[in-house]
Amino acid sequence: MSGLDWRTLRRIVTVSLLGVVVGGLASVAAVAFVEAVELLNGWLLVSPYARIQYETRPLLVGAATVLVPVAGGLVVGLLVRHFVAGQRGLGPPDSIIAVQTGEAPPSARCGAGSTLAALVSLGCGASVGQYGPLVYLGTLIGGLAGRLNLAVENLQAIGIASGVAAAIATAFNAPIAGLVFAHEVVLRHYSLRAFAPVTVAAATGYVVANVILERPPLFLVRFDGVAHAHEFLLFALEGVLSAFLATGFVALLGASGRLARRVSLPLVLRPAAAGLVLGVVALEVPEVLGMGKETLRFATIEGAFRLDELALITAAKVGTTALCIGFGFVGGVFSPALLIGILFGALFGSALPLVPGLATSGVVVYAICGMMAVTSPVIGAPLTTILIVFELTRNYDLTVAAMVAVVFANLLAHRVVGRSVFDRQLKARGFDFSLGRDKAILGSRRVADYLTTACTVVPPGIAVADLHERLHRDGRAEAHIVDRDGRHRGLVRLQDTVEAAPDTPADTLAGGGGVTFTETTSVWDAMQQVRGFVGEAVPLVAGDGRFLGVVPEEAVIRAYEESVYDLRREENESA
Amino acid sequence: MICAARKMNRPEAPGFWPALVLALLLPALAAPAAAAADDRTLTVVTWGGAYEASQETAYFRPFEAKTGIDVETVRYDGGVDALRRHVTGNGATQWDVIDMIRADARAACDAGLLAPLDPGILAPAPDGTPPAKDFLPGALGDCAVTQLVFATVIAYNDKAFPGVKPRTVADFFDLEKFPGDRALRKAPVGLFEWALMSYGVPRQQLYDLLSTDRGLRLAFRRLDRLRGHLEWWTGGAEPVEMLKSGEVVMASGYNGRFFNARIEGAPITVIWDGQLLDYNAWAVPKNADDADLARRFIRFATRTGNMAKQARHISYGPARKSARKRVGLHAEKGIPMRPHLPTAPRHLERAIRRDHDWYTRTKALRHRRFEAWLDEGS
Repeated sequence: MSGLDWRTLRRIVTVSLLGVVVGGLASVAAVAFVEAVELLNGWLLVSPYARIQYETRPLLVGAATVLVPVAGGLVVGLLVRHFVAGQRGLGPPDSIIAVQTGEAPPSARCGAGSTLAALVSLGCGASVGQYGPLVYLGTLIGGLAGRLNLAVENLQAIGIASGVAAAIATAFNAPIAGLVFAHEVVLRHYSLRAFAPVTVAAATGYVVANVILERPPLFLVRFDGVAHAHEFLLFALEGVLSAFLATGFVALLGASGRLARRVSLPLVLRPAAAGLVLGVVALEVPEVLGMGKETLRFATIEGAFRLDELALITAAKVGTTALCIGFGFVGGVFSPALLIGILFGALFGSALPLVPGLATSGVVVYAICGMMAVTSPVIGAPLTTILIVFELTRNYDLTVAAMVAVVFANLLAHRVVGRSVFDRQLKARGFDFSLGRDKAILGSRRVADYLTTACTVVPPGIAVADLHERLHRDGRAEAHIVDRDGRHRGLVRLQDTVEAAPDTPADTLAGGGGVTFTETTSVWDAMQQVRGFVGEAVPLVAGDGRFLGVVPEEAVIRAYEESVYDLRREENESA
Repeated sequence: MICAARKMNRPEAPGFWPALVLALLLPALAAPAAAAADDRTLTVVTWGGAYEASQETAYFRPFEAKTGIDVETVRYDGGVDALRRHVTGNGATQWDVIDMIRADARAACDAGLLAPLDPGILAPAPDGTPPAKDFLPGALGDCAVTQLVFATVIAYNDKAFPGVKPRTVADFFDLEKFPGDRALRKAPVGLFEWALMSYGVPRQQLYDLLSTDRGLRLAFRRLDRLRGHLEWWTGGAEPVEMLKSGEVVMASGYNGRFFNARIEGAPITVIWDGQLLDYNAWAVPKNADDADLARRFIRFATRTGNMAKQARHISYGPARKSARKRVGLHAEKGIPMRPHLPTAPRHLERAIRRDHDWYTRTKALRHRRFEAWLDEGS
């Protein structure tokens, strides 16, 4: 056991302070963001509280309902076009990539542009969530801290995870959920070195939100306990049904994105088009506008909605959210999923009494179960959602019920959706986390980093005798044939030339083993390709076919080993 | 003279005509009597009952003794309309000082019915703390000085429930567990909040939910439960009488009135759950004929010692921190007053902070829906 030396002590203090500073900043930024959204919702007549003062002027309210999301969509389109690289809003997938691959997150300008676009989206009532942008805000702040020269390994990952944890802890008023979310979704491992500052950041977020700024909790419900044992079966059934809804929602998100690419509408105008549809739907179903915190609360009240109203609002919310996100409004899927889930849960809970002889404990527990069972497969965070219930309601019975529903929803949805909507988006961008971090990280590292020019290169027409001389001089058993234009023409091995006449042109004997790397070949792909490869080194060619050098087989294995070693070390770092 | 004024004013008359008649008569009647000391008279518009009695003891009589100026009172039941009619009705304004609900004072100030009030006229705390720091945040407005915190609460008659007592707002709407008639103020104020709160909606979210049609419908659905079991009151003294007489078993009302009835032996207990906090403020009507005297009175009535003195007679919380600290025992019964103030920490935890913006925004809507609901039942 190693003792506590000066360097370790300094590192512990450094990462703890990092947690406090990043946590504090991310928390204040999160509160400011949420407040700004509320202000905008008030000014732009999105929130019921603002709309009610014009209840005698339905034309004005109707006009605002349609025009505000359209105008907001235009602004969002312009912001994204001019400020955000990749021309799409940033969110948890970007945080995950930055943490997992160690790549620098998008620039602060992009981050700020994306956050502003999210603010406008949410402020104008788009049917998107606030937690995705908040997670990215945490990433932005944590990423800046990660650039500091503090002599701590994996500092960027730790900084980002701290920022994310604080943002979620603040937004939900739930520090444990913030801590677990950062690990479950972003870090994806539990090393003590990251755990400590992330915990500190989550606690700081909680202190800022609760003690200093006194934010009200997201929701409060009263529940006296599960009255009948058979209800746990109903929770499981609800979980299964929620899995179908979550799967459908995720599929619709993807389909909407594809539809957006297919319609002949400039990128800048797409959000406005979605805003128009949203506004028209909202004339009939105003609950689809914005975050819907009133609707969230009503869903836990027995009899607040009729069954057909619940079904209609759930469907409208699923459709408008898919549309808004697919067509480029900037925002997350977390809060819409919460709302869709709680409405579905209320529908399930309200429909149960229709079954003769079936006793239940009221609609609240089913609403909460539905909320979490739909949300957890969408964001890929079962533990986080269970903990959110626990921290917000402080009710053990509700938490256990939600746990049952969440587990069954995840079991089923995982088969179809995969781990989460974030992982699906990442896969589309070439990062496959379906087999865990190893594959994704090996897939993100380039084998070109191990390129060497220490190889024997010969022209196509070289005679075997000359080739032998070159190989003998270089001490190698194979040579790469490269033509005058620098293109790779094949690989000729010593053993293939032994029986040839001395004046035979070497290129007629070239075999090559069939394996070639390119600049984009990842370590993971390289490992797959070198199976069965016999030779010393694999040629690496540019996109236009020019020969750049070789990657020795030994280097491929070294690349693999180093990547895996880094991963294991990161996952097992102590404080 | 003060007694005469109160006698002339019928308690059930909420409106303005008696007040106006009174206001017109008062100067004529007051002049000969007051001439002995000072020919001026201060007319204070206030709320009658136990509340006015506490003001008389803490403010009016000491002010008369100090200045030799007679204090007259005119009965008022809240709102801006009575003030508007008085200010615009005739040239001269006989009202010197008016004791208004703070939100009404703000609305009246915006409507130009009140004279500007410079906070500089207020006296510092005995330890020298300037008023801006000693008064509650937001207490010093452009035209009015917040002077006390009161609460609209639900109370019940102890004798009606010998076993399990009602404890929460939800119990008010539960006729099965707590049978008997209820009394509410006949105004769309407070009852929506309570109705929605009875569903378990947290205090902080009440006004957001009440801003939706669904929220209002849910509230009325709760009130529907009480149909046929509701009595209505208009003046603050009525619910106390209704509870005392057994006409109703639960009633809404002002916490100070219930407290005074209780210490005089009436079996009335306050449910602090969902207490609706509100504030009273002193203001000077526009064109008051003796604005200087009015300001002199406001300075006197907001002195720390005088405010603390009022709180020894009625359980309303002074709006100055220094005065709160000095609240001691009840002047006659000797019981500690602080636990009975709406501002006691235990009670604040369950208080609804009345959202005056929401009230302003929904004034027409609330009245329309409330009257429609009343008509439905008639």
